[in-house]
Amino acid sequence: MVQLRPRASCTPAEADAMVDEGQPASEEVAEHGLLLGQPSSGAAAEPLEEDEEGDDESDDEAPEELTFASAQAEAREEERRVRETARRDKILLKEKRKRREELFIEQKKRKLLPDAVLEKLTTTSQTNIKKSPGKLKEVDLQKKHEGHDKGSDSKKAGTQKVQPGSQNKSYVALRLKDQDLRDARQQAAKAFIQNSLYGPGTNRMTVNKFLSLANKRLPVKRAAAQFLNNTWGAQKKQNAKRFKRRWMFRKMKASGRVNGS
Amino acid sequence: MDAFGGPIWSMTASPSGSQLLIGCEDGSVKLFQITSDKIQFERNFDRQKSRILSLSWHPSGTHIAAGSIDYISVFDVKSGSATHKMIVDRRYMGVSKRKCIIWGVTFLSDGTVISVDSAGKVQFWDSATGTLVKSHLIANADVQSIAVSDQEDSFVVGTAEGTVFHFQLVSVTSNSNEKQWVRTKPFQHHTHDVRAVAHSPTALISGGTDTHLVIRPLMEKVEVKNYDAALRKITFPHRRLISCSKKRHLLLFQFAHHLELWRLGSTVATGKNGDILPLSKNADHLLQLKTKGPENIICSSISPCGSWIACSTASRFFLYRLSYERDSISLQRVPKMPAFLRSALQILFSEDSTKLFVASNQGSLHIIQLSEGCFKHLHTFQPQSETVEAMCLLAVSPDGNWLAASGTSAGVRIYGLKELKPHCTVPAYNFPVTALGIAPNTNNLVIAHSDQQVFEYSIPDKQYTEWSRAIQKQGFHHLWLQRDTPITHISFHPKRPMHILLHDAYMFCIIDKSLPLPNDKTLLYNPLSLTNESDVIRRRTAHAFKISKKYKPLLFMELLDERTLVAVERPLDDIIAQLPPPIKKKKFGT
Repeated sequence: MVQLRPRASCTPAEADAMVDEGQPASEEVAEHGLLLGQPSSGAAAEPLEEDEEGDDESDDEAPEELTFASAQAEAREEERRVRETARRDKILLKEKRKRREELFIEQKKRKLLPDAVLEKLTTTSQTNIKKSPGKLKEVDLQKKHEGHDKGSDSKKAGTQKVQPGSQNKSYVALRLKDQDLRDARQQAAKAFIQNSLYGPGTNRMTVNKFLSLANKRLPVKRAAAQFLNNTWGAQKKQNAKRFKRRWMFRKMKASGRVNGS
Repeated sequence: MDAFGGPIWSMTASPSGSQLLIGCEDGSVKLFQITSDKIQFERNFDRQKSRILSLSWHPSGTHIAAGSIDYISVFDVKSGSATHKMIVDRRYMGVSKRKCIIWGVTFLSDGTVISVDSAGKVQFWDSATGTLVKSHLIANADVQSIAVSDQEDSFVVGTAEGTVFHFQLVSVTSNSNEKQWVRTKPFQHHTHDVRAVAHSPTALISGGTDTHLVIRPLMEKVEVKNYDAALRKITFPHRRLISCSKKRHLLLFQFAHHLELWRLGSTVATGKNGDILPLSKNADHLLQLKTKGPENIICSSISPCGSWIACSTASRFFLYRLSYERDSISLQRVPKMPAFLRSALQILFSEDSTKLFVASNQGSLHIIQLSEGCFKHLHTFQPQSETVEAMCLLAVSPDGNWLAASGTSAGVRIYGLKELKPHCTVPAYNFPVTALGIAPNTNNLVIAHSDQQVFEYSIPDKQYTEWSRAIQKQGFHHLWLQRDTPITHISFHPKRPMHILLHDAYMFCIIDKSLPLPNDKTLLYNPLSLTNESDVIRRRTAHAFKISKKYKPLLFMELLDERTLVAVERPLDDIIAQLPPPIKKKKFGT
């Protein structure tokens, strides 16, 4: 709706301006979240104060002239600025996304082997492709149904040995998944036995406490056991020993001189 | 061979002995066939959800009970499928977040499955219906092991608190036929977890983390109530773990995975009898040899001159040459030791360090000639009888002419080293030999048996000596026969042929063959006050056995030269300080 100026003097120009200003004004209103008919603290506040001050001075001063053109120009400026910022933000985001995409492509490229090697690999493994699916199936089943001997055979085949073919250097590619599984199981087993016997929840006491309790239950009670760490402060002890020797030597010399002279 | 199931938690052989069952980490139970030359995989049973921790066969071989985490499964062997799955309560009464681990199961022939678990319960299950029959709560901590007698009327369980319980099948009333399982006897002989128990016809045997092996005879099963029917607690192994090089005063200590070489300290001070003299030169840790791999060292030895060290594990044999330059030593390994020397049970060097004697676990004796940095296989004595019996003890005469070897049951065999031929055999005795020694000049073989009998056999004459016959006729003192620990080492004085030096874990003794033998009425252990008495009284009460209990527990004792004796003690507190933590127990007044 229309912002009402406090001055009741409505000139036709003002009325026009107000009508024309409907849209920009509504924009402003929408932007500032105004209630209908309530003057905001923004544009209307200052003139209000001024008017009040003005009221004190003179009642007859006319309000500021705000032509339609200027107001329109102002509004347009605002709009343009807002649009500019939005566009700039979008451009920035786009650039960022582009850069990230390129980075990913780079990394992917780095992960794969160089093209030349890949080509050679695909040409040489063409011949093995027909055989491998069957073996892979065996590898899957071997844990469940296959017998032990068959299992060991397929295990060996499952470690894909890549034939070097016409290459300078020869290498053998192995499946690390099997070794990882074995290590993982061993770790799990060790952790299980450690937790179940000595982990939290088991009611264990330290060796120190055990020996101290034994001392307390003897017919002749003794003090609690204490464990010493003989390696603590080894350097300090060595320095102290050296210092003591030097000090003794000095003392002997001094007393020798006193006695002798 | 790899079972492809991950770490193996349990293994049990069928009652017939032809099949082997393995419980794995991934929850699978695998069946293997045992043939004469190898073990062959047969098939997998139904895979379970959690790791299989314990297995037991039914005596007929048709069913298996497998204990896992929170449940027990009963399998049918023919089909391989699980017939019953019995869920175990996590606590005797109430709920718990900690899972219940079934540490042991046993299958009885009437279909009862007995399970012991980490909640401290012993439970009886009926395998035909898969239901719980009876539950006993016996401990606040885990019950970790179970063993059943052959007649299936009693079983023994071991707990983590160190208590061993005996359960027996007794009739409900004195006339009735109905029987029930009752917990009869608790035994507290351990301080730490009891991880393994066994039930022999007359005794309960338990062993655990506190390194003691306890044999408790059951009074009602023992016929003769003599000293044999008492409790036995075995702390130290009955093997020689320390060898000594007399010439260079070196000691070689054998640990489970490494060897340590120490030079003894020396002193220039002098004092009276009973003084402790200060060391002028401290003991020196010269060398530490670690073995690679998970295997333990079975035996080791150092030559008397100190230039050779030999040790054997289950799969390899190591021979090292040591050279001493001023204050440093250098070590060199002799490569390519022959395969037949692997897993040797006993290694011995000859007195002049030119020959190496190795007793293998197949029963044969190998003689290797050592020279400047290489070796040569001289001869092998094959086992004579059909039964393959491992030679576990060796002794060589100081002049290098005779070699004595003893196995577990047959008599001691003596070989002549000059002709490389067997010489004679000492008559067999009921009890196994625990120590052998050959005296320097007289070539008398001294044999100590596990029932505390000591024999002396003359090798050149091929008969027992006069002194040995005399003491057998009179018999040993009753206190000597009641000693707990066996004699582990025999040594001799080079200048005094009448003296024999023996030691066991709690005493060492010099037997003076020239003095009269004690009878049952005399005092065996000489009291200290005797040294203050007059000469006459001492001569009257002196007898052949001079025993000192000053150093205990003794692990090793040897005469280095005419005036020096080395004794190695191993205090039990040191061992206890390195054990894993025990269960917390609340004691009154602490």
